[in-house]
Amino acid sequence: MPKAGAPVPDATTLRGPRRQACLSLRAQPTASLRGAVATALGVELPVAPCTHRRAGERALHWLGPDEWLATAPAGTEDALQAALRAALTGHFAVTDVSGAWRSFNLAGPRAIEVLRKSSPCDFHPRAFAPGRCVQTVFAKATALIACNADGDFDVITRTSYADYLRHWLEVATLEHPASP
Amino acid sequence: MLEIHCPYCGESRSEEEFSYAGEAHIRRPSDPAGLDDRAWGDYLHFRSNPRGAHRELWFHAAGCRRYLNVLRDTASYQISQTYRVGESPEDV
Amino acid sequence: MSAGGASLPTSSHPAHTPARPAHSPARRLPAGGRIDRSQPLRFTFDGRSMSGFGGDTLASALLANGVDTVAQSFKHGRRRGIVGSGAEEPNAIVDLADGAHRIPNQRATQVELHAGLVATSGARRPLKRFAGAFAGVMPAGFYYKFFMGPPWLWRRWEALLRRAAGLGAVPAGADPDTYDKLNHHCDVLVVGGGPAGIAAALAAARVDARVVLVDEQNEFGGSLLGAPQAIGDTPATQWIDAAIEELSARPNVALLPRATAFGYYDHNFVTALERRTDHLGATSPSAPRQRLHRIRAKQVALATGAVERPATFANNDLPGVMLASAVATYLNRYAVAPGTRLLLFTSNDNAYRTALDWRRAGRCVVAVSDTRPGPEGALVAQAVAAGIEIHRAHAVIEAIGRKRVAGALIAPLSEDGRRLAAKPRRLDCDLIACSDGWSPAIHLSSQAGARPRWNEEGMMFLPGAPRQPTLCAGAVNGAMSLAACLADGAAAGARAAHAAGFGDARPRFAPPPVEEAEEGAARPLFIAPHVQPSSRAPKQFVDFQLDVTAADIELAAREGYRSVEHAKRYTALGFGTDQGKLGNVNGVAILARALGQGIAETGVTVFRPAYTPVTFGAIAGRDTGELFDAERHTPMHAWHAAHGAAWENVGRWKRPWHYPQADETMHDAVVRECRSARQSVAMLDASTLGKIDVQGADAAAFLDRIYAGSFQRLGVGRCRYGLMLREDGTIFDDGVAARLADTRFLLHTTTGNAEAALAWLELWRQTEWPDLDVYFTSVTDHWATAALAGPKARDVLRRVCDDIDLSREAFPFMSVRSGHVAGRPARVFRISFSGELCFEVNVAAHDGMDVWNALMAAGEPFGITPYGTETMHVLRAEKGFIIVGQDTDGSMTPEDMGLGWAVRHGKPFGFIGDRSLALADHRRADRLHFVGLATTDAAAVLPEGAQIVAASTRRAAKPTTPRAMQGHVTSSYFSPALERSIALAMLKRGRERLGEIVCCPLADGREVSAQVVNPIFFDAEGRRTRA
Ligand SMILES: [Zn+2]
Repeated sequence: MPKAGAPVPDATTLRGPRRQACLSLRAQPTASLRGAVATALGVELPVAPCTHRRAGERALHWLGPDEWLATAPAGTEDALQAALRAALTGHFAVTDVSGAWRSFNLAGPRAIEVLRKSSPCDFHPRAFAPGRCVQTVFAKATALIACNADGDFDVITRTSYADYLRHWLEVATLEHPASP
Repeated sequence: MLEIHCPYCGESRSEEEFSYAGEAHIRRPSDPAGLDDRAWGDYLHFRSNPRGAHRELWFHAAGCRRYLNVLRDTASYQISQTYRVGESPEDV
Repeated sequence: MSAGGASLPTSSHPAHTPARPAHSPARRLPAGGRIDRSQPLRFTFDGRSMSGFGGDTLASALLANGVDTVAQSFKHGRRRGIVGSGAEEPNAIVDLADGAHRIPNQRATQVELHAGLVATSGARRPLKRFAGAFAGVMPAGFYYKFFMGPPWLWRRWEALLRRAAGLGAVPAGADPDTYDKLNHHCDVLVVGGGPAGIAAALAAARVDARVVLVDEQNEFGGSLLGAPQAIGDTPATQWIDAAIEELSARPNVALLPRATAFGYYDHNFVTALERRTDHLGATSPSAPRQRLHRIRAKQVALATGAVERPATFANNDLPGVMLASAVATYLNRYAVAPGTRLLLFTSNDNAYRTALDWRRAGRCVVAVSDTRPGPEGALVAQAVAAGIEIHRAHAVIEAIGRKRVAGALIAPLSEDGRRLAAKPRRLDCDLIACSDGWSPAIHLSSQAGARPRWNEEGMMFLPGAPRQPTLCAGAVNGAMSLAACLADGAAAGARAAHAAGFGDARPRFAPPPVEEAEEGAARPLFIAPHVQPSSRAPKQFVDFQLDVTAADIELAAREGYRSVEHAKRYTALGFGTDQGKLGNVNGVAILARALGQGIAETGVTVFRPAYTPVTFGAIAGRDTGELFDAERHTPMHAWHAAHGAAWENVGRWKRPWHYPQADETMHDAVVRECRSARQSVAMLDASTLGKIDVQGADAAAFLDRIYAGSFQRLGVGRCRYGLMLREDGTIFDDGVAARLADTRFLLHTTTGNAEAALAWLELWRQTEWPDLDVYFTSVTDHWATAALAGPKARDVLRRVCDDIDLSREAFPFMSVRSGHVAGRPARVFRISFSGELCFEVNVAAHDGMDVWNALMAAGEPFGITPYGTETMHVLRAEKGFIIVGQDTDGSMTPEDMGLGWAVRHGKPFGFIGDRSLALADHRRADRLHFVGLATTDAAAVLPEGAQIVAASTRRAAKPTTPRAMQGHVTSSYFSPALERSIALAMLKRGRERLGEIVCCPLADGREVSAQVVNPIFFDAEGRRTRA
């Protein structure tokens, strides 16, 4: 155990759960959809599987071939939804799911180990570089995990699992705690 | 613990992300009312259950939530192909 | 696992002259070994305090302390000593630590010594002590012959067997240690850190493949740690150290020492158990005691080594009979001589090393008994040169001694080795080191589906053709020399890396030069003949842990167990916690001989995980205590907890069950909650209900196909109860669907079925009807739902909602409105599962707590009462509302449940399950019907699940005639509103039997009679709901 007060060089910082504006978008990834989404949200629509795109505080995560999760600062959900609905045409579904998701953030050189304790996915930098995201089993729940440009990770989970996963992540980071 | 390549995610993932959804390529009859009880019963209950190559439907439940086809050997458990719904193994 | 056996012309460990006379009891040599003499350690074995050194195993320390007997055997209660030095050890099975920290079934040979270690030999009570008349015999199959009798007796046998089998003591109390799991993905997994494994890891790592190297020992080096060899002019361990240094510096390599790969599953998934703090003796909550590694590898290189085969002869279980390689290991690695006068019994050259090492350690080598008429390898020549007496074409046929070996009978062998050529004679010795060859550790390969193949030349089972991307290298492959192991390992590592996409399959390094002693051919006996036949001779043990003898196996063959798998089960050969690592091949050979066939055609049994025992703690990992399951909490969870809710687990949700006040019983609380709902107003957290947002031009058309009812003409803002059927016509789920807009619906599902229902919708959309324009989004977690129920519900809601007209006319039953509640955007449904006037207020999850509080405050003047799931159940049962999964069991149709009104035949497309409703079986007249039961005794609440039979015609105290089951109780409560017991049931032809008295015989012998009634007990007209 590190000494009290001593800096921990390989500490893992756990933040969250945090609420964000979340919108579910379902549609076929046509060129017109991509244009409309980029216009409405200011974020490129990620069409490559298991990737996310970020612009400032907004992000779009690929969830499936016709499904995305948009995240943005809490409170902006109504405006974003209105903008999206105004921009989109044809068959689509936009749903406010801001209450449904909560975000954790894991940072630190050993954050990847916390992920590996929790999920069967491959989080090695060769397989999971910045810009990647996966939906997967996480502990006994599920989560959407995204690798950010700085190498930190967002762990986005269903709200009802947030208490459980906060506890789980606290325990999983015990070996390399942020503050002793 | 199987490892299944999801043709939608483009990645191989662990079995625990998936759930099995029965034999693949079982088409629902277009006119159920036109079938007698025996024919309808065949559709409902009878499956090929082979030893060897088996075309299976799986659901990427914890992933992209897409159904996918898996060509799996029921004896060796080896998976020779996975492919999208609407495709046939020969297409791949 | 020890890797390649080795032959060594010059020993690298310092020779020394004996400081004590040959008969000195001191077992610890004064110098040498890989132990740390500056670190003396006290430990306790079976209550006795002893000492050892850092670097010792428990086994080496026990031997150094002169402990000969470490166990009493399972069946016969015979003394047993330490036989091996690794995972193969069958006898020295101990419990570690005490109290709640206790871990049973540990091999003393693999337990690293630490200060304060406490070990117990398990305090076995051999079966012999209570097997009575069978005691002297207990032949093969005695389990089947002896443990017969009334079934109740088996429970006592089980307890006795458990104690006898030395399965260890159950830890006292919950395990205070922590365990966890870590997932790995790699290109090449190398199992075994001996020379072959390290060479493989190097070859793969140098071409940049992601490599994981797993080894079960505390140090890498495998067999070289116990049998030093030279590479060039330096000890091989120096080469190992340099290789490990290189590997640990590489970011693409993970080294896992102290980790046993115990399971090899489909698609190259390997599990390994790492002992992280066991060797430290102390545990801390931040450092897991053990870690389960779950490794998915593109390629697996197995370098698991080989286990020496013991010799089978009479009394070969006497303490002091050991594997030759183990004797060398104790001598060289731990500086422990487990005896003074050594007799070596071998059928190969390799074991001569032990005699030479023993001699170099200054101890007496009595003789070598070699099964071969003309051994002539280099090591044999060295032994001759050293003046060691060699008895050629001889076998040790019997060990002599009481507490440990005091001598041995050796005799010349006939030409075929199956009989004795002359009378035996006695040699005095206190240690018999034996080697009847090597058995490659093919366990993992076998687990992976490769059928072992018998190699006649090497006289060993080798890994079969792999069924997975597996390569084998080193001794497991039959490569028995260091040079061969290094070359084999390097080649396998390079090939594995190449197959995973790295390098060109050629190793990037030349294996270092190793001088090898030439070895002559081996001649294993598998069983040494005796002057008596096996059935008469003193016991010749094959499986030490389960006391299986050669005679047992021959008996099995005589009794017709010709298949090796049957013989295994009949004799219990290989069924111990050691999986018969020592005895299996000898057992197969003895069986083959008894059946008059070859070993190849006899085959070997299939190995299954786990290679060595795994603690439940490691399998559970962190999923214990509060993290046992993923608990789902609603947004109002903290409020419920603060208000004393008793919890009910519904799926993974924690739901308030009831809210007991002061010293209320559950019954009191439920009665109070029910009365509040029926008389004034009560509130339920209904957030857990599944909710699916459906959007698209074809949403209504799609729902028409999925639901049995019709949704095309449902008006916007209106709700309808829907039944989802499986294709076979049975009820899958139910719930209220609301039309939010022309092309948008909100579906409610049952709490437990939310995910299954969404998967069901996606199944049909994706596989059958991709042409329909419809999308689904789960919004279960988005909404917090408060169900406000009771005659005063409208009055309460009105106080916190001013933008929805709540009047009966403007907001009728089965409709939905949007507006604000307590200032938050809300969607309010007028639907009811309680039979009362009810508003289900939905707000975003993050507004849930505030809105709940606002509603509680608004309801205060009306005595608003929070209610839980038990009250919810009572209220709905009074109304005869079903719960899918409780009142239905997967075989019920809508008609069975009296829900025919929710089915609309003749829709344009039909619906899922429609056709099946017309099947003859679903139309049978004698199907079970959903009915109510009113017990004759209004206070008698039937147990749910109670069976229903026809009422007794006469009042018999104890009816004996079996009566046909006619149905069962699905729900049963005391109804505060009716002040009587009510039940819901499935009853054959039930709807035709209203008014009839039926009978429920209970487990305690009582019979409760009840009248069949309409399942709607309360407000059958639904006036309250529509109020
Ligand atoms: Zn997928």
